[in-house]
Amino acid sequence: MMEFSYFPGCSLHGTSKEFDESVRGVTAQLGIKLHELDDWTCCGATSAHSLDEQLAIEMPARNLAIAERSDRDLLVPCANCYSRFKGAEYEVKEHGRKVSFPYEGKVTIRFAMDYLCDKPVVEEVKKRIVKPLTGLKAVCYYGCLPVRPPRLTGIKNYENPTHMDGIVKTLGAEALQWSYKTDCCGASLMFTRLDIFKKLTGRILVEAAKTGADCVVAGCSMCQMNLDTRQEDIEKDLGRKIGIPVLYYTELMGLAMGHPDTGKWLKRHFIDPVPMLKAKGLVQ
Amino acid sequence: MVVGGGIAGIQSSLDLAESGYYVYMVETSPAIGGTMAQLDKTFPTNDCAMCIVSPKLVEAGCNLNIKVLTATDVEAISGEPGNFSVRIRKRARFVDLQKCTGCGDCAAVCPISRPNEFNALIDTRKAIYKRYPQAIPNAFAIEKRGEAPCRNACPIEQRAMGYVALIRERRYADAYRTIKEDNPFPSVCGRVCNHKCEEACSRGENGGHEAVNIMHLKRFVTDWAFAHPEEVEKAYAAGVQVKPDTSGLGRKVAVIGAGPAGLTTAADLANRNYAVTVFDSLPAAGGMMRVGIPEYRMPYDLVQREVEEIVSRGIDLRLNTRVDDAAALLGEYDAVFVAVGAHAGVKLPIPGNDLPGVHMATDFLREVSLSEPSRRPDVVKGKRVLVLGGGNVAIDAAMSSVRLGADWVGMSCLESEDRMPAHDWEVRDARDEGIEVLAGRTFKEITDEAGRVTGVRTVDVDFRGFVDGRPDFDEIPGTETVIPCDLVIFAVGQKPDLAPLGDKIETVRGRTIQADPVTMATNVPGIFAGGDAVTGTTFVVDAIDAGHKAARAIHAFLQAEPTKAWPPVVEVPERLPEAKVSDEEKEERVEEQARAKREEPAKRPAAERRRDFLEVEAALTEEQAIEAAKRCLECGICSECNQCAYVCRAGAINHDDRDQVEELKVGAVVLTPGFKTVDGDIRPELGYGQYPNVVTSLEFERILSASGPYAGTVQRISDGKHPKKVAFIQCVGSRDSSCGHDYCSSVCCMYATKEAVIAREHDGNIEPTIFYMDIRAFGKNFETYYERARTESGVRYVKCSVSRVREDFSTKNLIITYIDEAGKVVEEEFEMVVLSVGLEPAGHTVAMARRLGVEVDKYGFAKTAGFEPHRTSKDGVYVSGAYQGPKDIPETVAQASGAAADAMAPLSAARGTMTVKKEYPPETDVAGQEPRIGVFVCNCGINIGGVVNVPKVRDYARTLKNVVHVEENLYTCSQDTQAKIQDAIREHKLNRVVVASCSPRTHEALFRETVRQAGLNKYLFEMANIRDQCSWVHMKQKTEATEKAEDLVRMAIANARMIEPLNEHLVAVTQKALVVGGGIAGMTAALNIADQGYEVFLLEKEDRLGGNLWNLHYTLDRQDVRALLEGTIDRVENHPLIHVLFKASIIDSGGSKGNFTTGVKAGPDGEYRKIDHGVVIVATGAEEAKPAEYLYGEDPRVLTQLDLEGKIAGGSPEVAAAGKVVMIQCVGSRNEEWPNCSRTCCATAVKNALKLKELRPETEVTVLYRDVRTYGLAEPYYAEAREKGVLFVRYEPEEKPEVRREGDALKVAFTDKVIRERIEIAPDLVVLSSATHPRNNDEVAGVLKLQRTLDGFFLEAHMKLRPVDLATDGMYLAGGAHGPKLITETLSQASAAAARASTILSKEKMMVGGIVAVVDGDRCAACLTCVRVCPYEVPVINIEGAAEIDPAKCHGCGSCAAECPAMAIELAHFREPQLWAKADALAAEAEPAATNAAM
Repeated sequence: MMEFSYFPGCSLHGTSKEFDESVRGVTAQLGIKLHELDDWTCCGATSAHSLDEQLAIEMPARNLAIAERSDRDLLVPCANCYSRFKGAEYEVKEHGRKVSFPYEGKVTIRFAMDYLCDKPVVEEVKKRIVKPLTGLKAVCYYGCLPVRPPRLTGIKNYENPTHMDGIVKTLGAEALQWSYKTDCCGASLMFTRLDIFKKLTGRILVEAAKTGADCVVAGCSMCQMNLDTRQEDIEKDLGRKIGIPVLYYTELMGLAMGHPDTGKWLKRHFIDPVPMLKAKGLVQ
Repeated sequence: MVVGGGIAGIQSSLDLAESGYYVYMVETSPAIGGTMAQLDKTFPTNDCAMCIVSPKLVEAGCNLNIKVLTATDVEAISGEPGNFSVRIRKRARFVDLQKCTGCGDCAAVCPISRPNEFNALIDTRKAIYKRYPQAIPNAFAIEKRGEAPCRNACPIEQRAMGYVALIRERRYADAYRTIKEDNPFPSVCGRVCNHKCEEACSRGENGGHEAVNIMHLKRFVTDWAFAHPEEVEKAYAAGVQVKPDTSGLGRKVAVIGAGPAGLTTAADLANRNYAVTVFDSLPAAGGMMRVGIPEYRMPYDLVQREVEEIVSRGIDLRLNTRVDDAAALLGEYDAVFVAVGAHAGVKLPIPGNDLPGVHMATDFLREVSLSEPSRRPDVVKGKRVLVLGGGNVAIDAAMSSVRLGADWVGMSCLESEDRMPAHDWEVRDARDEGIEVLAGRTFKEITDEAGRVTGVRTVDVDFRGFVDGRPDFDEIPGTETVIPCDLVIFAVGQKPDLAPLGDKIETVRGRTIQADPVTMATNVPGIFAGGDAVTGTTFVVDAIDAGHKAARAIHAFLQAEPTKAWPPVVEVPERLPEAKVSDEEKEERVEEQARAKREEPAKRPAAERRRDFLEVEAALTEEQAIEAAKRCLECGICSECNQCAYVCRAGAINHDDRDQVEELKVGAVVLTPGFKTVDGDIRPELGYGQYPNVVTSLEFERILSASGPYAGTVQRISDGKHPKKVAFIQCVGSRDSSCGHDYCSSVCCMYATKEAVIAREHDGNIEPTIFYMDIRAFGKNFETYYERARTESGVRYVKCSVSRVREDFSTKNLIITYIDEAGKVVEEEFEMVVLSVGLEPAGHTVAMARRLGVEVDKYGFAKTAGFEPHRTSKDGVYVSGAYQGPKDIPETVAQASGAAADAMAPLSAARGTMTVKKEYPPETDVAGQEPRIGVFVCNCGINIGGVVNVPKVRDYARTLKNVVHVEENLYTCSQDTQAKIQDAIREHKLNRVVVASCSPRTHEALFRETVRQAGLNKYLFEMANIRDQCSWVHMKQKTEATEKAEDLVRMAIANARMIEPLNEHLVAVTQKALVVGGGIAGMTAALNIADQGYEVFLLEKEDRLGGNLWNLHYTLDRQDVRALLEGTIDRVENHPLIHVLFKASIIDSGGSKGNFTTGVKAGPDGEYRKIDHGVVIVATGAEEAKPAEYLYGEDPRVLTQLDLEGKIAGGSPEVAAAGKVVMIQCVGSRNEEWPNCSRTCCATAVKNALKLKELRPETEVTVLYRDVRTYGLAEPYYAEAREKGVLFVRYEPEEKPEVRREGDALKVAFTDKVIRERIEIAPDLVVLSSATHPRNNDEVAGVLKLQRTLDGFFLEAHMKLRPVDLATDGMYLAGGAHGPKLITETLSQASAAAARASTILSKEKMMVGGIVAVVDGDRCAACLTCVRVCPYEVPVINIEGAAEIDPAKCHGCGSCAAECPAMAIELAHFREPQLWAKADALAAEAEPAATNAAM
């Protein structure tokens, strides 16, 4: 059985609880054991990383130092945390930056999306599908940090990533090809330039709806939140309804593998996916 | 050896062959032609690429001294220059090149479609294919990855993939034929096979997907075939009827046992006409198929049908005949095959095994199967039956018992349930029928009461499998029970009954016969054995395998007479390796077309089937079968269905072909393997591969091509709509260090411009937009082409690097965001996007370089030494074309000739020693003879014969006047037909030959050669094109096509009556060259020619050699120019064969190729002399123009680039001290007076800027440019200059920089387009990149009558393919006289001119005449019309005042003959009376039948 150290980060303990629960849920189904990192602290993705260069490394380094106490790889579902961790690893390993914690750059940091959508896990998932998501049409939205910068993420197809599409297809749903997979959702301007933010997020939602997809699938808590919670606002500006649910890929995995808590996760969304899934006969 | 069959390889090969060397041209694909053949048009002349390249292909293909080796790879090279040994691998083509006529019948029946590489994968071709219609060699090839796993796994190598593919195409009769090729019992193997094919099926691997139902598909086809016998017959009749094999006549073979092994042998031997007798002791034939397998699994009428089909081949089947001694048969028969099967049952040695209620499964099943349905045995009726055994036979016995009315049926075995030898589904079916399965027990005793069976005592076991063939188990104590029953059937094994063998044949411990697994030979000479009797119980398919092997061995044995070696020697064909499909490919295919799940055929419900012996399992329905067949992954690519072989009338298909490795001895190697275009997805953000309407330029080229997938209609891939707005995105995979391609691909700006122009020509609604960084129109006349595209053809150019293409989901239109000239972000929608992909070395060429030990640069292009542009790092190995760096066609062709020159110079001693010369018989004099015409009408396979009624045309031709012999041929072009034609010429004393077939374009040369070899003048031949111009275009109107074919034949015959022999005569060649111009081009050409052993006269206008090169000192790649120059001058001046004439000028010139005489004044006194020579090379050079603007000449601080270079080289202090330098590009170029680009100035500016930075890094250098044209591998230097701080600022021609003097200061003012500001600099130096002009060449042009471009450079014969030839044969061109160029380009062209010259110089004598214009002096009015119209400036008015045409110069185009108002000129072979005769013949409805004495 695979075991990982696990770093949920703040959003998975807060606004994106369903992401946390679904990651824990499907990994458990797949026989993967997660050990939440002991005494973890902020990854530095808040204001720290843009205000103090050293602090931006120190904060993730503290958590990485904790992770290094075990031999396990570290699994990180949040794209922001992941990016901070990889950034710190790069600074320490490639540039020899000194940090105040006993971090040596040894722990392998794995992004949950990369790991859970990779072949070995996909093969396992295949075996456990009890309810194929037949008839569901989805567009996958990757945003920026799950794939960029490629120097840190090591993703080859960062212009046209397909790993989430792959798992969606494995689950029996249709993954539609669209051009906005990696467009900016504007998260960094959410508070300062709402106008720009709404334009960017709005375009992604409008284009997603144009494809005729039933839902958007995301793998970053920030993207998911923006697309889900701001839809009403954007609809007001547009003067028409979009109403497209935004789900985590782990929720769909849970759904297809028949995880008993799926219904609980799905309840946490602003745009309620349940009626759509009901209409498709995918939930009761 | 020339490696690569593209235009470069062809040119190198032709130059070498024409210069007296034997050439191997090695090409990796199945046809030569390279990328050029794929192009639609070529810039800047918009010639059709195929039209101009195809004559070259034919020329190379027909050249006696070029051996074209296609589908061949070079593996290794050893030895020394002059004596290399090259190992090549000729990959199996599976089509015999000698036999294939290219008719295409095979492709029509091939069931496998593959992406068509030639059409850039837009459409498909078949697995058997010709790369393109005009391909040379004109022959097909089969794409085969190996043997499909299904076939590989099958004992009889059944072509499973083949029939599966045919089923998918709904060609069931063809599929049946394919199955029968390997299997005489398909209906049996479609039901009861252990189908190893399905275990091996790639669909079954890795879980998830299941194997294709190969077995059920076979059954589906056989059921269909039995229901449609007429259609099966038709399928067999449709193909080529093979001549019967009579090798077995007169020999007798006995087969003992009419089972699958015996009957297969009998069938195979009967096919070879052996007299075969089959003996069987049973009353029915079929062996275990008939008496072992119950009828509910295998209906006996089907077995009977397949047996009868075999017996009907003339086999003597003797049933109820037991053979007592096999060896005794040897007297009467030449060989005996023992295949008696394994029909004897085996009992376990336990108490009670001989009780009367104990039976053997084999006996039981045989009895059941041989009885009439109404009289089936009732031995089990109402009884409790226990079958002992867990295999298929046990199941058969148990299920039969159920059907015969047993009260209770159970089966018990030692194996645990999961290890039972029967399939799980069989056990499941048994349970469904109510059979109780009692697994995991050992049997102790059969209990009885007074001799009546009461049960079987068993003990449960812990069974762990078999160890060394013995069961490994422990009894579980306390589990002993008795299973109560009335009847026991043993089904624990079978063995052969060896009684009839006699005692001579060796056995394995008395159980089975000892026989060799390959030859099936026993210890007794003449006796073979196979099947279950040798192997023990196996499957039907194994027995068939044994049968085939035995037949093969018996045939080998009997054909080896009189030696009759024992055991016989059997040749087993080498098998192809198994084809493996990669996981990615598998996934892709499953995703694309075969997602369906495997479906099983229906079974009758258990309750119903318990009651009778009717078949349990149904066949797949037709729809199920098609769906199942579609699931095939086509692992092997070629399915080996053999349909191609069935239809190939030429017998050219050879599926047993294998790779061949050969060593070739060669003196030099020229590498020209070309390039590949960069993959479109190299920049994924542009959406190639994701959005269907984003295509690469090569794909667009095919879309534009009339021979492309859309026949030249511009349409979108997604929906076939005609796009209006089309965007071209430049520099995809070029000038982009992020993808490792920081060089410029040189050709994309021009090809995009061309594609945009042509697209608009095809469809005037198209609005093309080209997004570019710099337009690099640097070649000869390219700039004017670009200007016309911009101003006249409506091509919009937007200077902007596009960073992203998005797709509108619903319309599939593409959205491009870019920044316009005003700096605004614009979003624009296009209907199609073309990516101008760059050029890169193909992976296989990089690998080849590694194998051959040739160094490549960091990109993978072959490395060449600075001033030796064709020489690789390996001595004796040369290079040309895009393999050396990206370049366009003319440069490629010039370089190819240059490489040929460099390769041949060191080998001049061997010239002419290995070339082949045709020897012909003397020509028959036909003068004054009445025409005796032979007509050969071709079927071209079914290409003509399938439409035109060829026999009717043939009979019609016979009725025409002067026709004395008529024949119809399957393929008139095949080698045996050539011999037939020659025989007919001799036998019937033919003096004219007419072939009615295909196009003279491809075949006239062949037939002329044929008639010449039979002693006829080659012009006494005429062709009627009844294929391309008749059967192909009137496919649906057969009657009319036949009439038209008759018309065409009548016309050809009318012409043939009037054609006359034409004589070509030999003239001696003056093997000396005249080179005009002593610059680096002239010197290099002179040296090359002199090194080849020919005398050269080198004329130099000045009193020293070197020309413009004296003004140059270093190059961009930091080479020493002066060393090159001085070294070359030294070699020239000391070469014994070069005569340098200084202060020379040309006064007069006459003669033609091979024999010119030129009057020259030379030396200090201007002495006049006449020089005889065979060729002229014009290399008069070019020079830097003196600018008339920007204060040049007025202020000493304003220099040209040459001035600057001179000052730098001279260590000038003013340059060393210069703090600010401004360079201005395009001074005197690209303007109205001088519209073209001077090509070299951008690279020169970068070179000098870098030099200034090197001398003094703080010097500020600003380059004011319009487009930076550092093409090819110069691009990285441009990047280097920018990195080193050289500023590049763009200006528009409407807003030129301003240079003025303010007091003492120089001021340069210009507008920076990016920041939109006017900027002023006070530089220390202003350097002008001035235009390059030709030297004054009026005199040379006048005397030699050479054409020039508008700007005064000499004009080559053809911009693309004859870049160093002048329009006059025997005259060549090199260097600056052709146009501005860099030193290496000049060197390359100079060698090229030398190579072209040597094609004439190398010949002592040349043929002239033939089809040339002839003047009737009496009728000539000396009006000068011919003089004016001749494109080659041949006609002159002679001393008698009449036009005169030199046959050595005339090209035979006929322009003068057509134009001559007095009709004084006739073109031989196309004389006026001939044309009238043809026209009259067309008009004549039909000709009256003639009396032909000979008929």
